Amino acid sequence: MNFGLTETQEMIRGSAREFLLENSSPETIRSIGDGDQDAISTLWQAFVDLGWPALIIAEEYGGTGLGFTDLAVLLEEIGANLAPTPLVESSISSWVIGRYGSKYIKSEFLPKVASGEILITPALVERDASWDPKTTKAAAIKSNSNLIISGEKRFVSFAENATHALTLVRMQHGDLAMVVAPIWKMPEVEQTRLKHASGVPVSSIKFNEFEVSDLNVIAINDQAIQAAYELISAGSVARSAQLVGIGRKVVDTTVEYTTNREQFGRPVASFQAIQHHLAEMAIATKQTRHLTYAAACSFSSDGYSPEAAARAKIAASDKIAKVCWTAHQCHGAIGFTWEHDLHLYTRRALAWKTDYGDPVFHQSLLANLMGF
Amino acid sequence: MRFDFTAEEKEFKNQLSSFLDDELPVDWHGPADESRDDHWNLNQKIKKGLAKRGWLVMSWSKEYGGANASPMMNTIFAEEMAYRRAPGHDRFGTRMLGPTLMRFGTQEQRKKYLGSIASGKTQWCQGYSEPNAGSDLASIQTQAVDTGDHFLINGTKIWTSLAHRADMMFMLARTDPSADPHKGISLLLVDMKSPGIDVLPIINMAGIHSFNQVVFDQVKIPKENLVGSLNDGWRAGITVLNFERSGIDYAAWARAALNELIDYTKHDDSETKIIQSCPSTGQRLAELDVEVEAARLMCYDVSYRQGKGEVPSSEASMSKVVATEAYIKVLDYGLELLGMYGVLEPGSNQAELQGRFFKLRMFYTSGPILAGTNEIQKNIIAQRGLKLPRK
Repeated sequence: MNFGLTETQEMIRGSAREFLLENSSPETIRSIGDGDQDAISTLWQAFVDLGWPALIIAEEYGGTGLGFTDLAVLLEEIGANLAPTPLVESSISSWVIGRYGSKYIKSEFLPKVASGEILITPALVERDASWDPKTTKAAAIKSNSNLIISGEKRFVSFAENATHALTLVRMQHGDLAMVVAPIWKMPEVEQTRLKHASGVPVSSIKFNEFEVSDLNVIAINDQAIQAAYELISAGSVARSAQLVGIGRKVVDTTVEYTTNREQFGRPVASFQAIQHHLAEMAIATKQTRHLTYAAACSFSSDGYSPEAAARAKIAASDKIAKVCWTAHQCHGAIGFTWEHDLHLYTRRALAWKTDYGDPVFHQSLLANLMGF
Repeated sequence: MRFDFTAEEKEFKNQLSSFLDDELPVDWHGPADESRDDHWNLNQKIKKGLAKRGWLVMSWSKEYGGANASPMMNTIFAEEMAYRRAPGHDRFGTRMLGPTLMRFGTQEQRKKYLGSIASGKTQWCQGYSEPNAGSDLASIQTQAVDTGDHFLINGTKIWTSLAHRADMMFMLARTDPSADPHKGISLLLVDMKSPGIDVLPIINMAGIHSFNQVVFDQVKIPKENLVGSLNDGWRAGITVLNFERSGIDYAAWARAALNELIDYTKHDDSETKIIQSCPSTGQRLAELDVEVEAARLMCYDVSYRQGKGEVPSSEASMSKVVATEAYIKVLDYGLELLGMYGVLEPGSNQAELQGRFFKLRMFYTSGPILAGTNEIQKNIIAQRGLKLPRK
């Protein structure tokens, strides 16, 4: 075992910290939360210029060819900063396309993702808000060399910014298909913006008899279900990495605040009640960190560990939300204000607790894998 | 022992409940956002209605317009009001300042202020916390200087609920900077219209303007607005806090939220169910039912003891801890049940239960923090209740 970072990972971490500190201020993050689309575009373009959407795309498709753990290191920093950009959405979509797509699909989409020409976001959840791919109801009818898609996908992050959605549809005979559907400014694709706690744009999208070329189908039948589970697992680990960043940042902020804040003539951090809170926050963050990186390391071109991914998401969902709530308790009234940034972390942690499956969903997955 | 209400108590609860049926809008879900004019008007209307029926200050003695109602009746009143998330309760005037004036105020002060609290006319706010004095309240720095014919106040109060709506404030200020922290403080009454008072809104993490920062710049107040003796305000001020500390509001809010969840879970008959009800859903709801009922009984025990003339300090702290925690457990489970929908904020398209659970969870993050953090309450339970050593 080796719990250290590689030289490349140290470099990624260093440059991410430097860039985010300068280009993703709390003001930027709040303005995006208030709906400033230009700020998202500017930030995302900078991510593209840094080569981040290309990070885990294979070199033969115009990417950097780094691994999922390298991505996790970057996402941890982005989580700690709260930068609202679709790096998770783009990265896991390109990962699954790289793993399941045909040669044609890969050469058609991956170089464009790497260069920032297109942006793909996953659209899996429907009205019942279930992450189980088998509950998919959105229908596709085959018509010559096209699929005609009808149905609604809910809780699609960055749908307003994305050019394509990576989605699941049910064919006439009941089989599932995973499709890359263009959604940018399509009259047959209706978007409804939601007011979402994450502070990033989240929408529902409705396909109204929308024609997509069958060349855009990535996988069908069991392959589609497998691809969907891999997408969910990749999303879970990516979100967990961001949640680790949130936990780390919230622990640091709370240590700093309680050390400087004095009551009864001493720092409140000198009281055992507060020290125990902070110790528990630190433990929870570290546990989540280990489970998350163990899961990230399991992703390779040969497969991944679904157990490790489920463990990471269960821990990250529950433990980091708790870290945030305990931080509120340690901050007292000041952390209860809109002006203080703490609630931005809490909102993000709550939103991501359910994204790509909540603990109950992942507990069922894990139990299943244990043979129950 | 008996755990049900007397016939008289039941009758009162029913009367209050049907009064609220009439007063609250049909689709009322609360809690009131008093920065909104319509909610503030509702608050005032209900407060006056309660006053008219003799319920607003029913625990006060007859001399001051009350009915000598027992602490038990008072708790039944608070529980029903909170269960309905109804505004107009006025705890600052009726539960905190009123009893304090009865004990520490002059004859003139009682005459001048108690009547307008009892009639629901005057809104009071509480000026205690300061930027550097939260849990450590005795470290307040706002100064009140005796200039001979009046007090001159300078300083800043913070987290002042309803300051933007209040006519008057009761405040703690330092009147002897050279004395020990607890010994140089006085309790003063301030007209919020006095020149030199600036009320600055603070928006909370639920996005609601519920409290304020209040800045005093050379504010003159009459000498007769001192309550109790000069420099003896700590005793009067702490008495106020004892009236404040009860968990019944939280226990009732928790019950309301739990019932709403049970109802929502049972009645989701849409084709694609949002709540995937399974055996564990019922078990979790049952687990919460236990927490909420236990919290409620803790609160009623406090009232029972008060009714016997005890000062159940440790029990009051316990009730605050368990009730605030039970409420948060219910809200957290609500968010869990709602899943992806749990994080849609009020006003969102496609929100379930109008995004209420999310807003409530954000809002009541303050429960374990305000009116003495739960950590401070546990110190009280350990030291005063269990008599554990302090060092």
